[in-house]
Amino acid sequence: MAKAYTPGLKVAASTTHQAHRVLPIPGTVQVKQGDQVEADTIVAETFMDGDITPLNVANLLSAQPGDIPQLMLKGEGDRVEQGEPIARNKGVFGMFKSECTAPASGTLEAISKATGQIMIRGKSIPVQVKAYLPGTVIEVLPEEGVVIENQVTLIQGIFGVGGETSGPITMACPAHDQRLEAGMINEAMRGMIVVGGARVTAEAIGRAREVGAAAVVSGGIDDADLKEILGYDLGVAITGTERIGLTVIITEGFGDIAMARRTYELLKERSGDSASVNGATQIRAGVMRPEILIPVAGSQVSAPETSTESGVLELGTPIRVIRDPYFGLIGTVASLPEAPQVLGSGSKSRVLEVSLESGEVVTVPRANVELIET
Amino acid sequence: MLQMKKRNTLPALACATFAVLVSLLAASVEAAPPEPPTNLAAIDKPWDGGGVVFVTWDASTTPIDQLQGYEILAKDLGQTPVELADQTAEQADLEAKDQTETILEGEGVAPQEARQRARIAEEADPAVPVVEPTTWQSLGIISATETSYEATGLEKDRQYIFTVRSIGSDKSLSMMTTPTEPVVPEAAWFNLSKLPLLIALCVISFAVLLFVVLARGGMPMNIRTIAGLKAVDEAVGRATEMGRSILYINGIQDMDDLQTVAGVTVLGHVSKTAAEYDAKIEVPTSRSLVMTAARETVQSSYFSAGRPDAYNPDLIYYVTDEQFGFVAYVSGMMTREKPAACFYMGSFFAESLILAETGNSVGAIQIAGTANPSQLPFFVAACDYTLIGEEFFAASAYLSGQPDQLGSLKGQDIGKMLAGLFIIVGVVLATIQAITGSSGLEDAVNYLKEVILGS
Amino acid sequence: MTPPSQINTDAVNVILATDCGSTTTKAIMIEKVDGTYRQTHRGEAPTTVEEPFANVTVGVINALTEIQEVSGRRLIDDEGHIIRPATADAGCDIYISTSSAGGGLQMMVAGVVREMTAASAKRAALGAGAIVMDTIAANDRRRPHEQIQRIRELRPDMVLISGGTDGGDTKKVTEIAELIAPAKPRPRFGKSYELPIIFAGNTDTRPEIERVFGEGGFDLKITDNLRPSLERENLGPARDMIHDVFLEHVMAHAPGYDTLMSITDAAIMPTPGAVGDILQTIAKGRGINAVGVDIGGATTDVFSVFDGTFNRTVSANLGMSYSISNVCAEATMPKILRWVHLDMDERELRNRVKNKMIRPTTIPQSLEALIFEQAVAREALRLAYQQHKEFATTLKGVQQQRTVGDTFSQEAGGETLVDNMKLDLLVASGGVLSHAPRMHQTAMLLIDAFEPEGITELAKDSIFMMPHLGVLSSVHPQAAMEVFEKDCLVYLGTCVAAKGLGKPGKTCFSWSLDSGAKGSGSMAFGELQLIELGVDETAELEVKPARGFDLGAGPGKALTQKIRGGTVGVILDARGRSLSLPEERSACRAAVSNAIEAVDLYGDQPAKVDGRAV
Repeated sequence: MAKAYTPGLKVAASTTHQAHRVLPIPGTVQVKQGDQVEADTIVAETFMDGDITPLNVANLLSAQPGDIPQLMLKGEGDRVEQGEPIARNKGVFGMFKSECTAPASGTLEAISKATGQIMIRGKSIPVQVKAYLPGTVIEVLPEEGVVIENQVTLIQGIFGVGGETSGPITMACPAHDQRLEAGMINEAMRGMIVVGGARVTAEAIGRAREVGAAAVVSGGIDDADLKEILGYDLGVAITGTERIGLTVIITEGFGDIAMARRTYELLKERSGDSASVNGATQIRAGVMRPEILIPVAGSQVSAPETSTESGVLELGTPIRVIRDPYFGLIGTVASLPEAPQVLGSGSKSRVLEVSLESGEVVTVPRANVELIET
Repeated sequence: MLQMKKRNTLPALACATFAVLVSLLAASVEAAPPEPPTNLAAIDKPWDGGGVVFVTWDASTTPIDQLQGYEILAKDLGQTPVELADQTAEQADLEAKDQTETILEGEGVAPQEARQRARIAEEADPAVPVVEPTTWQSLGIISATETSYEATGLEKDRQYIFTVRSIGSDKSLSMMTTPTEPVVPEAAWFNLSKLPLLIALCVISFAVLLFVVLARGGMPMNIRTIAGLKAVDEAVGRATEMGRSILYINGIQDMDDLQTVAGVTVLGHVSKTAAEYDAKIEVPTSRSLVMTAARETVQSSYFSAGRPDAYNPDLIYYVTDEQFGFVAYVSGMMTREKPAACFYMGSFFAESLILAETGNSVGAIQIAGTANPSQLPFFVAACDYTLIGEEFFAASAYLSGQPDQLGSLKGQDIGKMLAGLFIIVGVVLATIQAITGSSGLEDAVNYLKEVILGS
Repeated sequence: MTPPSQINTDAVNVILATDCGSTTTKAIMIEKVDGTYRQTHRGEAPTTVEEPFANVTVGVINALTEIQEVSGRRLIDDEGHIIRPATADAGCDIYISTSSAGGGLQMMVAGVVREMTAASAKRAALGAGAIVMDTIAANDRRRPHEQIQRIRELRPDMVLISGGTDGGDTKKVTEIAELIAPAKPRPRFGKSYELPIIFAGNTDTRPEIERVFGEGGFDLKITDNLRPSLERENLGPARDMIHDVFLEHVMAHAPGYDTLMSITDAAIMPTPGAVGDILQTIAKGRGINAVGVDIGGATTDVFSVFDGTFNRTVSANLGMSYSISNVCAEATMPKILRWVHLDMDERELRNRVKNKMIRPTTIPQSLEALIFEQAVAREALRLAYQQHKEFATTLKGVQQQRTVGDTFSQEAGGETLVDNMKLDLLVASGGVLSHAPRMHQTAMLLIDAFEPEGITELAKDSIFMMPHLGVLSSVHPQAAMEVFEKDCLVYLGTCVAAKGLGKPGKTCFSWSLDSGAKGSGSMAFGELQLIELGVDETAELEVKPARGFDLGAGPGKALTQKIRGGTVGVILDARGRSLSLPEERSACRAAVSNAIEAVDLYGDQPAKVDGRAV
């Protein structure tokens, strides 16, 4: 057998894409079937009860709970703003007074003399669903949401964080294998989708957040940097709900790795066009990868639907090694030995020989390579 | 006890004369009585808690080998009528207190009731003021080599005069010395023998303050998990699954009792859990103030659990102040409604076993907490979990999570450790002393026993 | 489908069994050889649930055809049917199957109190072989709208609702039902599928439940309360109902399963349910306590039978590919690296872990990668076992009986049933364990992660045959037992570990095998030793622990027991329990290196890895 199937990601210049936009709880749908919607059009809306924030004022002021009503600067039913002083103790001879401020905005709902605890009720939370994908509403799900359809250029990333956003595409790196550094990001990139090349640094993402970029798309990222950005160690690849100020999409993997040339070229071609991106990733049965959707205007539909969802390994097929010790290296299939071989780890597996760009020929398990497009 | 009697002066005088004659005769026959000591002086012992006078004198001129020792005598000159009255009242109070304790411990009757019974008993048998002796009384005989004596056991507010006489080796007595000036063995503003207590107090207070400050500064305070507290979820869960109510009894004492206060804190936790599970919690109280406090606590628990709507103040109500009336009501309610979880947190007396047994018979998970030692065995036997004494207060601190409470708990632990240390040292020393019979150790043991333990 | 009772077990000579996994369908053939049942041949083919075939039987027939080819026995007739009954050279007597295709049986369970009826419901679902996607309870600290949102997100195959003891709560149960009904969980199998709801709660609530779910879109099934009183759990009826519904609804909607169901001789079972069954059969048959573990890419299943009580847990986020990053996050890097005796760059390891997570199908190529992957596996197994211990408990919410003697030792309810000292058999399966290049590695992974105490047999499932045997045990227990003992399990050997802690170098226990004929010696604390004792060999082990150490007879008490050898042998472990490695990095590395040397963990592997000495 000189062929083998290996997975890849969807990268298509033009394809029909449908987006299901539904509310978590029943509400009202704001658009009709056949409507044209923009990325930020609100298609459905509802309200939820505000959050309640308890605050133990007695503990904070080191006062007796019974004295709290006298120490309160606000009464029950009053509106409070976050950071606003709401209670102050008497101090010692009028000195050393300490204050306690509201941890959240809302209405002061209750003051307890027994525990010294107060409750602040936040305002009702509007839950809105935006169109996300500009296009046509092709179906209305009553009280739930809509289905939107459009012709798009679709690029799937391997991994992302952050939710849905949109903006025009701008290229920050001049080449697909160049690292995306903080210095390459400028004020003009506000609200834009910044496309880098190889690995993106935490500083670069920090800078992008500073200038208010909508999203960063690049080839790779260091796990340590990801941890720094998220503030925690990501456990399971189920993302999309992070609130980090922008969306980050990685197209290739972790570590120093260049963006696939085809992906880079496609993005470069569509540079300046408005795109919808979603960092949500779910790597499980029913896998969900982050996506970049760039609507193709009616007249532009020229390129046929293409995809590289899975391909066939043959001699000469360009591949990338996706596991150490040769992680990220690119080469072509040099041979596909039939019999399983003993690996360095001691286990047996079917392998292939890769002729690397450097000219070196190495043996790797077939499970550890991925097809790439040139 | 000798009493001066004025009526038969003549025969008495005759007798006295006779006696003197006889004694003179005897002295001339055998040997002369020893000389009395001289320069007698008495001073109130400084830096003490009162009741001690220091008596000093110069040795008798009689050679030491002819002396058996000195006898010290004291005469009580009495006190002012006001003081007398005060003391009588104090005495009566003490007795009443003793009696109250007896009723309290022996019969498990609540303190109010016990006090009332004691008062009735006292009225029926009023305390009679004791008439004090006013003649010379011997305080003791000491060796002839000593020239000072510490008179102890005197009354703090009375005046005393002292005298000393020598006792010859043939038991003959010398003349008494001229009595001293009256001395009042009053209490100094600081009792030096209580110094160890002061030090311990300072150490513990400092530890408490230190830990409070540390706790406020955010140092994590670890409290051992208390099975009874962990079981709150289980008990409330049981009530929820069985669709029955939770019964919470906050003791039968008023808010001035620390246990009631701790019970209210625990109630906050239980009712918050109940609010989260949306279970019904019923709190009958035997004091109106406790009812108010309980309502406030439960309400705020429901608020912080985010279920203010589920709070029903009618389930927290006052029953009666009467100890057994309250118990009768609660037991009746338990048999009728069969709560799935019962909590007894506070000060309990004779009702403890009645309540716990009733709860057990209706199949409830029961969690008790009390610091009344006499009721603990009953709770342990009849309940699923019991917070024992200190645990109960620790639970309160743990639940409230207040740095002040946690810190003071930790600080008190230092005190307990100190006490434990002294006990161990004392036991070891006493054991070694008993084996070796060393007198140096004996002093140390006595010091520990009398001064440290005594203070 | 022939009812099991109609099968004459004595006349059975050939048995075929398949397990339709999400990617491959595995078939085995069991034949009666010299009066005993043996697994003789096996075959594999890709599962064909998805397009273009969309018919699971295609894969089954392919797998069976492979057996047909290797065995030379004709099993499939020209029309593509299984030939039955068996003749001298063709066909089989029994055909059975399990299935976990399409992600297995996915369920949502609900109860009133998370630790009580909801926990019982979860136990019932897990025991039946389901994956519990979420547990909804009145006290799960989620507000109703959050619960609704969660229910809507999930796409379960069925929902099990419990709550309230008989005669107990009705309000809460109804409330939960009222949350689920309007949330309308969307089943995975499209709109025509009526979501099955199994109600196994308070009998008094039935009318209310019928009202709530009567509106349509649901298929309500009612069975006995699984917690009739808090003191008693009755999982049987609920478990059976889950199996019925699984066959009736879930399987019936999966492509080709209707055909498959018609040709099997016993009900198709969810794969993990079958694994649980065989473990229970074995534990009951041999009168032992057993633990089984199956570590996969996303999840780790732990099964245990202690004193006849069966428990299963699925640690949803502990696995070796999809969930590998979560293992690292939960266990933390230093905890994982303590099992590694090489210098590794933490930053690079982190990237590797994440790359494995986003590309789950890759396999370790270098020894270094294998060592690291096995270190992660140790932590994954340890965490999964810990979760299992926390779940496999006595019932909660039970009234306790106390005496005054309990004053200072008030034990709470819900104590774990798992006791490593009482554990007799530990069975491993799943990629990282069964495909380890050397069995020694499998054995050490088990010992390091599970920390068995006393004398424990270690085994691995040779070709993941336990599901097949689980179903077989319901039709032909004798055949199942025989094959399990002879062919299913590969005995790795026996672990002899002393419980207790001491100073390194101090004597821990002395031992002798067959009164010294097969060796004897003394173990110092901290040591590990491997004694050869071949497969099918047994020996009389005599151990005498030092004071403070326990090998099963009590602290300091000697013990004599017959033990079994295996492909690895007897591992004497005097590293103490609970097992702890030195905190200090170089001391820790030395300890791990010693252990590697003592049990010859990596065999004749190259002494150097990427230029660094091993």
